[in-house]
Amino acid sequence: MLAAWPRLRLYPLVALLALAFGFFFAAQLRAELIPPSNRVARNEALALTVRSLETDNAAYRSRTAALQSQIGRLETDAALRSGASRQLADQVAELRAHSGLTRLHGPGETVTLGNGQSPKGGAAVSAYLVNFQDVQDVVNLLFRGGAEGIAVNGRRITPESRIVGAGTAVVIDDGPPLVPPFSVAAVGNRAAIETLLAAPASLGDLKQRQRDYQVQLGWFGAGDLVLPAADTGLEPQYAHAG
Amino acid sequence: MPAERRLRTPLVVGVVILLITLLAVIQVRSQAEVQRSLLSQDNTSLAFLIDDLHRSNDDLAKQEKALASRRDMLSGAGSAAVANAALSAEAQNLRIVQGLDPVRGPGVVVTVDAPLNDVDLQDAVNNLHVAGAEAISLAGRRIVTGTVIEASGGEVLIDGVGVRGPWTLVAIGDPSRLATAGDEMTRTLRADARVRSASYRADPDLTISSVIRQRPFVYALAP
Repeated sequence: MLAAWPRLRLYPLVALLALAFGFFFAAQLRAELIPPSNRVARNEALALTVRSLETDNAAYRSRTAALQSQIGRLETDAALRSGASRQLADQVAELRAHSGLTRLHGPGETVTLGNGQSPKGGAAVSAYLVNFQDVQDVVNLLFRGGAEGIAVNGRRITPESRIVGAGTAVVIDDGPPLVPPFSVAAVGNRAAIETLLAAPASLGDLKQRQRDYQVQLGWFGAGDLVLPAADTGLEPQYAHAG
Repeated sequence: MPAERRLRTPLVVGVVILLITLLAVIQVRSQAEVQRSLLSQDNTSLAFLIDDLHRSNDDLAKQEKALASRRDMLSGAGSAAVANAALSAEAQNLRIVQGLDPVRGPGVVVTVDAPLNDVDLQDAVNNLHVAGAEAISLAGRRIVTGTVIEASGGEVLIDGVGVRGPWTLVAIGDPSRLATAGDEMTRTLRADARVRSASYRADPDLTISSVIRQRPFVYALAP
């Protein structure tokens, strides 16, 4: 019976079976002999924890933003109770606006920042990448130019804001990591901010890297920029009026 | 036995293919695994990120509790007096955050005798902010995010006012995190050839009496 089988039909069948067994044994062997090395397994477990904590963080922020909004409405209502309440509510509304806890709009400038081109030849240079210090420099410069409110990629800067780096990402107030390109929007005196941005001495390091590594740096004005409210609470836990 | 030979040849071919496939798959998958682990963040960075997220979530939970309590106070305020108390408490908190009122609390004092420039000082302030400082003063001037520290004609200006060393930074906030930051900052500074001395001390009751004058909005409008 076997002798009746043409050899050409048998070989592909055996090869196919061997291939299938090969994959099966390889998977089995890998699971037994090189179980995703401890480092990789740990890495995956840590990454999973990070994702879970980030989800919690986003939920906290969403609830905090909703609470801020409810408080704002209740304070508006409270203002109707008496003259003193109205005066206090007005004062709080102004403080909230200056603290970045309410939406803000007005004329302003948006500075854009993006990574440049990696130098040829594989040189270990990171100067073509924009980092948290560049974002910090731009934010500081905009405040110097008289900015009355600033947001980085939609995250509002408050009087207690912290800008830090996490690898190539930028983290503001422990929020979600922001990656380039960055957009730093500032409401304020457009002419003053534009003059400062264009001054050769301003953002010297960034401008040098723009020439050397084509780091992207630009700015444009708008008649009416809108900045979102911060999604954090600003409740001092250790500092008390003294 | 021609039939037996005919059977053996494809079996040998099959075993060879099986072995090659096995080796190829192990090789490819091992490389892919290494590549994936290299591309993602290293474990130390992830561990730091987890610490930061835990701390941030703890802070946010406290903020949420405080805000919910304020909301409940306002929504249940039957009288103007109760509403006014809630409004006054929020105004006071926001005045502290914006540096409009003197403050006291636990924290650290960092003292540095060195010709530091505006970038050094901005870095020092950033480090303290990152370490959870709720109020900062530098050279007797109150500092918040937005305070302009710049160099002009060889001197450092804070919001346009000239200041000089030796530098004293006072930070009020989480005493444990600020002490760690103070220790790291002064150790780094002592390694700098420009620095004559750098030290810090933790204090359970510090006072920052300098304040900022709020600038009214000229261009911005709140809805």
